[in-house]
Amino acid sequence: MRLTAEDPAVTAEQFVRSNRDSEYVRLLDNTEARLWSVKKVKEWLEKGFEKETPATFTFSIRILESDRLIGFVGLGGVQWSQGDAWMGIGLGDRQDWGKGYGTDALRVLLRYIFTELNLHRVSLGVFEYNPRALRSYEKAGFRMEGRQRKLYEREGRRWDGIVMGILREEWEQLA
Amino acid sequence: MNSDLFCGELVRLTVEDPRVLAEAFSRWDRDSEYMRLLDSFPALQWSTKKVQEWVEKDQDQLRPDLFMFGIRTRSEDRLIGGISLDGVKWAHGESFLGIGLGDRTCWGNGYGTDAIRVILRYAFTELNLVRVSLDVFEYNPRAIRCYEKAGFVHEGRLRKFLDREGERWDMIFMGILREEWEKTA
Amino acid sequence: MNTALFSGDLVRLTAEEPQVMTEKIARWGRDSEYSRLMDDNPARQSSSKKIQGRIEWIQDQPQPDLFIFSIRTKAEDRLIGVISLHSVNWTHGESFMGIGLGDRQDWGKGYGTDAVRIILRYAFTELNMQRVSLDVYAYNPRAVRVYEKIGFVHEGRVRNYLNREGKRWDMLYMSILREEWEKMT
Repeated sequence: MRLTAEDPAVTAEQFVRSNRDSEYVRLLDNTEARLWSVKKVKEWLEKGFEKETPATFTFSIRILESDRLIGFVGLGGVQWSQGDAWMGIGLGDRQDWGKGYGTDALRVLLRYIFTELNLHRVSLGVFEYNPRALRSYEKAGFRMEGRQRKLYEREGRRWDGIVMGILREEWEQLA
Repeated sequence: MNSDLFCGELVRLTVEDPRVLAEAFSRWDRDSEYMRLLDSFPALQWSTKKVQEWVEKDQDQLRPDLFMFGIRTRSEDRLIGGISLDGVKWAHGESFLGIGLGDRTCWGNGYGTDAIRVILRYAFTELNLVRVSLDVFEYNPRAIRCYEKAGFVHEGRLRKFLDREGERWDMIFMGILREEWEKTA
Repeated sequence: MNTALFSGDLVRLTAEEPQVMTEKIARWGRDSEYSRLMDDNPARQSSSKKIQGRIEWIQDQPQPDLFIFSIRTKAEDRLIGVISLHSVNWTHGESFMGIGLGDRQDWGKGYGTDAVRIILRYAFTELNMQRVSLDVYAYNPRAVRVYEKIGFVHEGRVRNYLNREGKRWDMLYMSILREEWEKMT
């Protein structure tokens, strides 16, 4: 895996394409699933770049072998004074799931966070109905820290939101 | 139908003039202990003008995911703090709760607990939410007790989330479900 | 978790590039029968510039009370109409639904029924609505039959609401409740 920066036109296309897979969208995001035009997504991405904030880092993920663009990984809500941040990851094409791509991208990101941004802690939230992601995060070293009970409603039932975290000292022991 | 949705026993929830709120906020911000109990952002002070601009922007925008109120004592009509339901996720029927009593002479008098009861009633019987979440810093035991009394359940901790005064602290997160609240009310 | 939330048997719901949508809407607007089945505003044609402006404005940010999609046939990927949930009332879990198939050659083929089924599933399992309402004109019996077939229940008539072709016509209100929908699926 390598983490890259991409042209908004490229990211917009990929976003719209993966956005059509409603299972992907619902594994990724709690906001109601919507569909978007490429034009609009590109405009938002460009606007986003203009107001670049020091509290957000987004990277695209490309496979080393084929250089294919398969998803994104990012950091948000960085609190510099506290030394912590929230992270998110999404592989937009289901044919890429279960191959270790996500775990590898996570390793690259964590290394960046702890040795370049020098943060102390990374948090993330994951849906109870996404066991594949949960396993991936555990493998990367994240620990379960609690559940927000019945936080979400989808498909006629309520689901917990699981909160996980990894501390720098824990990460150092893994590497 | 409850005729006094915004009224509790000791306090009532209000909407204030931006100028009034701005003056109160910038006064309370000078109390760094208050700021560090309230927020993980580095304690900072702001000019009244800036705070007023923010308050006006919020009030102008009429964000569908924010319900923000001032807290006034019923006995003296004194503005003592703010409380809000923020980040309402409508499709999931859930929201985040935040409260701050900026006037430290009011701490420990039951005002916070009362304000929370009022807003939970609002959340569950007017907004028809199904769950309310909050987080609180480990070094704020007074607030933790207040939330426990109001019926919030401990759900977990973000370990060593905060870095203050040379130590790392956990952030505790709690939640209350509508069915749990109905049993207490 | 449903993998194809926006897909049905005959059609799928899509988001379209503003320009594509503009051309279609401008063309459909020339059929006054279509306009009069859709809308109580006087049938009129709008310039492409105006139409595109409106579409761009809608697409600019996620509207909290509007979910609007285009409809394409699965067989030929042809763009045939629009469908939406609008005026979403989150605290009450209620929303209005509207649909229009712009080209008369597409009427009576089951496309509308299929699109409405998709949007009801979206309303009840993603937006978690409790009820979906609609209104339909008495002079549109084809649509009324489609809604009845799907499970919408008549709730009332706004008598003599419309004045068209020298006659007065009723507007009908229909709705479907979540529990009714769940029994059917």
